[in-house]
Amino acid sequence: MNLTFSHVTKFYGPVIGVNDVCCTIGPGITALFGANGAGKSTLMKLASGQLRPSQGDVRIGTLRAWSSRAKRHVGFCPDLNRFYEEMSGREFVYVMARLSGYSAREANRRTDDALEEVGMTARGNRKLAGCSHGMRQRIKLAQAMVHDPSILLLDEPTSGIDPGGRHDISELLARLAQRGKTILVSTHILREVESLANSILMVSAGRLIASGTLAEIRNLLDSQPFTVRIVTDDPRRLAALLVEVPVVQSIQLRLDTLLVRTINPAYFFSELGNLVRQHGIEVRHLETLDTGAGAVFDYLQEDAA
Amino acid sequence: MSLLRAWSTLFMLSFRRLLWSVNTMMILFPLTGCALFLLRRRYQSITRFPRAFDLFSHEFVLVMFASFIVPVCALAYATTSIGGDREDRTLLFLLVRPVPRALIFLAKFTATLPLVLGLVMGSFYVYCRLAGPVGQLAMQIYQPAIFCMTLAYVALFHLFAVSFRYATILALVYSLFMEFFLGNMPGIIKRLAVNYYGRSLIYDVGVAHGVQPPSSQLFDPVPAQTAMWTLLLIAAVGTLAGLIVFQRREYRDLT
Repeated sequence: MNLTFSHVTKFYGPVIGVNDVCCTIGPGITALFGANGAGKSTLMKLASGQLRPSQGDVRIGTLRAWSSRAKRHVGFCPDLNRFYEEMSGREFVYVMARLSGYSAREANRRTDDALEEVGMTARGNRKLAGCSHGMRQRIKLAQAMVHDPSILLLDEPTSGIDPGGRHDISELLARLAQRGKTILVSTHILREVESLANSILMVSAGRLIASGTLAEIRNLLDSQPFTVRIVTDDPRRLAALLVEVPVVQSIQLRLDTLLVRTINPAYFFSELGNLVRQHGIEVRHLETLDTGAGAVFDYLQEDAA
Repeated sequence: MSLLRAWSTLFMLSFRRLLWSVNTMMILFPLTGCALFLLRRRYQSITRFPRAFDLFSHEFVLVMFASFIVPVCALAYATTSIGGDREDRTLLFLLVRPVPRALIFLAKFTATLPLVLGLVMGSFYVYCRLAGPVGQLAMQIYQPAIFCMTLAYVALFHLFAVSFRYATILALVYSLFMEFFLGNMPGIIKRLAVNYYGRSLIYDVGVAHGVQPPSSQLFDPVPAQTAMWTLLLIAAVGTLAGLIVFQRREYRDLT
């Protein structure tokens, strides 16, 4: 099932929260990435039917996200750390299952399944007030999954969770994605974006500035230079050769290391290969320094500004 | 999946959370205060029954119970049934469930109603028993007025809860000041107060048993039928308006 934003604009009084956002999010894991105040939360709230768009349309499949029927297909894991504190984790998930309209027996079964999925079976009977942040995060995930929605909206699902827990949750999301679920994960952790998501939505100042896989987004940025770090035994000679390559913008020499800025990485790497082969120069190490999500995001933000 | 199951779950959840809330503890203080007042005042020791009934009706039923206990009990639960979830930000978990918002509101409303009615009518019964023979008569004739006032206040404070961020404070200010001032203003403006219709009903049935109404210049009651229908209308319109506001409103501050 798809989550579709069609020319969505949301005003908070005179302030614009999101501005003319258009995208369709399909099965798999999509990361929603942006700085604080970029509009991530507004998009999450619009998708989970907490807010109505001022203009445009947000749809869950063919249903408007605001409608209660659409919410059957959506599971939302909020960023906030608030619960019915007097309940145990198990009781909370069970109540959420009952609120989804399931019979007591079915709700019990689904609660057990959801707690098992998030690794909380053994600790489910602990009172929420006494649970650690990580355990509470897992309970929030369980309540979002308990009615087996087609679309999962997860707002910072791994915040406050230890590395082992993060790994567990990443694996869980990958499993859910394999089952055909559409998962939108809002995050500010770059490593998570790169390792977890199949595709990325980058937002800045309320606008969707890029969407696609990280590689696709990077390829869009031909006008932006790549920085390539080359460690070689003969840096001066290689630098002299690379200066002749037309797509090289600048070269910095630091001991045995060259930092080369190029505007066409594909052509550059092809030429580099030819040059080191022809002149017998040994390259000990080669890496591109700014293909990560952070660098891409910085470039895109600069472009958007 | 069934909406009825979702509704009944929310009804039970809301009822249980309201019953075991700090509000129940807080409300016990004024209720105990009223009981202590009755025990000290000893209406059964006043020899002339009509005089004792008049005093009980004025001092206790009108001033303490109808003007203070009924609105305070109503606001304690009605403003927190939705407002509490909103303050705690747990309302979010309800709004993202596949339950129509109208049903969420109705579940909250119907969970509050038996609690407030039980508390108000139950405490009124206990007070009337404590007051002796005058209390027994008051219980017989004032019950409908107390019941209708409670309904009206519960609906009105639910409307406050879905409309305003700090509904409890607003409702407290409204019931303690606005109702008092409006209800005691000369002229037609007092008809804006719920309390006015409750008092009209109480005087209407009390007069036959020796209750002396204030002079018509200060308080000109409406007929009992009109008062009762107005209170029921306030309850119905308050509920409907609350439902519409809740259905349409975005609660942006939940996350």
